[in-house]
Amino acid sequence: MKAITANRLIDGEVVFWKGGAWVDGFGDAQLFDEGQDAEVETAVATGKAQPTVVIDVYSIDLTPSDGRWAPVSYRERIRALGPTNEPTHGKQAVGGEVVEALRHADGAARSTGRVDLIRRK
Amino acid sequence: MYLYDAIDREFLTDRSNEFRHQVARRLAGELTEDQFKPLRLMNGLYLQLHAYMLRIAIPYGSLNSRQVRRLAWIGRTYDKGYGHFTTRQNLQFHWIKLKDVPDILDAMAEVDLHAIQTSGNCIRNVTADPYAGATAEEIDDPRVWSEVLRQWSTLHPEFSFLPRKFKIAVTGALTDRAAVKTHDIGLFLRKGRDGAIGFEVVAGGGQGRTPYIAQTVRSYLPAEHLLSYVEAILRVYNRHGRRDNIYKARIKILVAALGIEEFTRQVEEEWGKINAERADLPAAELDRIRAAFAQPRFETLPDVSDAFEAARAASPALQRFVRNNVKPHKVPGYAIVEVSLKAIGQTPGDATADQLDVVADLGERYSLDDIRVTHAQNLVLPHVKLDDLPAVHAALEAAGLATANIDLASDIIACPGLDYCALANARAIPIAQDIARKFADPDRAEKVGELKIKISGCINACGHHHVAHIGILGVDKKGEEFYQLSLGGSGAEDASIGKILGPGLSADKVAPAIDALVEAYLHIRTGEERFLDTYRRVGLEPFKEAVYAQAD
Repeated sequence: MKAITANRLIDGEVVFWKGGAWVDGFGDAQLFDEGQDAEVETAVATGKAQPTVVIDVYSIDLTPSDGRWAPVSYRERIRALGPTNEPTHGKQAVGGEVVEALRHADGAARSTGRVDLIRRK
Repeated sequence: MYLYDAIDREFLTDRSNEFRHQVARRLAGELTEDQFKPLRLMNGLYLQLHAYMLRIAIPYGSLNSRQVRRLAWIGRTYDKGYGHFTTRQNLQFHWIKLKDVPDILDAMAEVDLHAIQTSGNCIRNVTADPYAGATAEEIDDPRVWSEVLRQWSTLHPEFSFLPRKFKIAVTGALTDRAAVKTHDIGLFLRKGRDGAIGFEVVAGGGQGRTPYIAQTVRSYLPAEHLLSYVEAILRVYNRHGRRDNIYKARIKILVAALGIEEFTRQVEEEWGKINAERADLPAAELDRIRAAFAQPRFETLPDVSDAFEAARAASPALQRFVRNNVKPHKVPGYAIVEVSLKAIGQTPGDATADQLDVVADLGERYSLDDIRVTHAQNLVLPHVKLDDLPAVHAALEAAGLATANIDLASDIIACPGLDYCALANARAIPIAQDIARKFADPDRAEKVGELKIKISGCINACGHHHVAHIGILGVDKKGEEFYQLSLGGSGAEDASIGKILGPGLSADKVAPAIDALVEAYLHIRTGEERFLDTYRRVGLEPFKEAVYAQAD
């Protein structure tokens, strides 16, 4: 399973792809099945063609957690939640099942979680 | 302190307006991200994990109350009500929106602050001893020379596109509170045989993936030649520094590759070609800058304050605060007060807007409007009357700022790590919080004594882990956060690079390991030995056993 993420240009907010638009919450993100690689590619390409809306568009791998899906990568989970030292800062402030599932997820960290990772200079 | 003149202010206003237009053009799609990124970085604006991060330059860690209040206001208005002090004596805001940055830069410019040269391959903000102008052990005020360097290096056209970033630190004291030997150029003020003032110039220090302690290029440089000599060093670096490989581009690699003798020879040769009259600062200009740091009118006070002595006799908390956070001042009746931003369980280096306002008020009322930032992510009120110490302590206590732990095990340096930083591999802050909790009992922390623990969330080493008594480096090991411990580093006058203790530990094993290291130290220390001294006497083995025997 995969999702697509980016940062919104105007404020840097972490956003997720949902059927042609960008949403703030990971819980609202569109999830792509293993067989949908072509759709992922098209959506990433569409996102990259919106340079005044988002920057740094890429897809992330997901893993099951609490009957939901969460990013495999620790880094991506922190992006989807907010900093772990300030539990009221960032997206996690809203609480709820999605946040709990993200918090309970375990799995690999950034190096295996980000697809097509290219180290930026 | 040095205050901007009309030209400086006009320049900052222009710069802010320029960036406002650049942001507008970026949002309108007239600039691509590739075109815009270097422009925003030149104004200290990074994109981190959750938002933009704005890094504000605090020249040699020196602020007045008006500036601190403005930073508090920015934190409240544009961030989540706090700011984060860094190991380069700067301040970072972690929740900044691109659209707000031009307004923030305007607000900063009104109080002589900016974010220029806090990023990029240029000469970065110059750091210095946070006790400058207050400590008795000082040969000369390092702020004077830091300001000279700041003015000279700001937008210096020749040094705007160096092979890599370039950091300079200055101290006038024998005790090194500015990690001078970990800098690209380090400057120690020295007194010459003739009584004149000069510098010992060291170069090629640095941390990151290849740490080096700086080596002496010149043991005595007459102070008036500072700029021509620094120019010569930078020219040699600019010419020969490796631009082909980002990991080999810092001056430390060049110095190590050439050897200090050959590097020095080339610098001296280059220096010989420079027209010193053109390159060095005119005496009148130096006098103008020096005047900005003239000693304030301290009151004539007795050595001992009866009010203070009575207060501390009655208050164990004040007594403890004085033991750990109050340092001798050069003027009788005054003291230097360190304000710890390391309350147990807090994020190292974070200060809320309300706390910043408290520090601004105390600085204005009790410290001659002078407030400093240390590279250990704490604040300093450099000129507090002994008579006022009880009141200052009480006000700090009320604001959660009176933790009496300077240089103790809970005074931990930590970079923002994976909680915020786009470069990090692992978190640093929660590790620091876990360790600090182990030393929450202040008696235990004092019993252990000076112990500098420093944590970086990646090999770039913003958390100074290489030069920690106990260094902790977060790594990404097969997809999980792991932490590599090293012992025996120091960023002070006895600078050294730590040695790796053994295999990395998972996050939950780090604080117990630190505990085990400390217990081992308490067991084997003799006399007044600090942790570092004991390590230097006995080596890694007893500590290795303490950690890894327990881990099994």
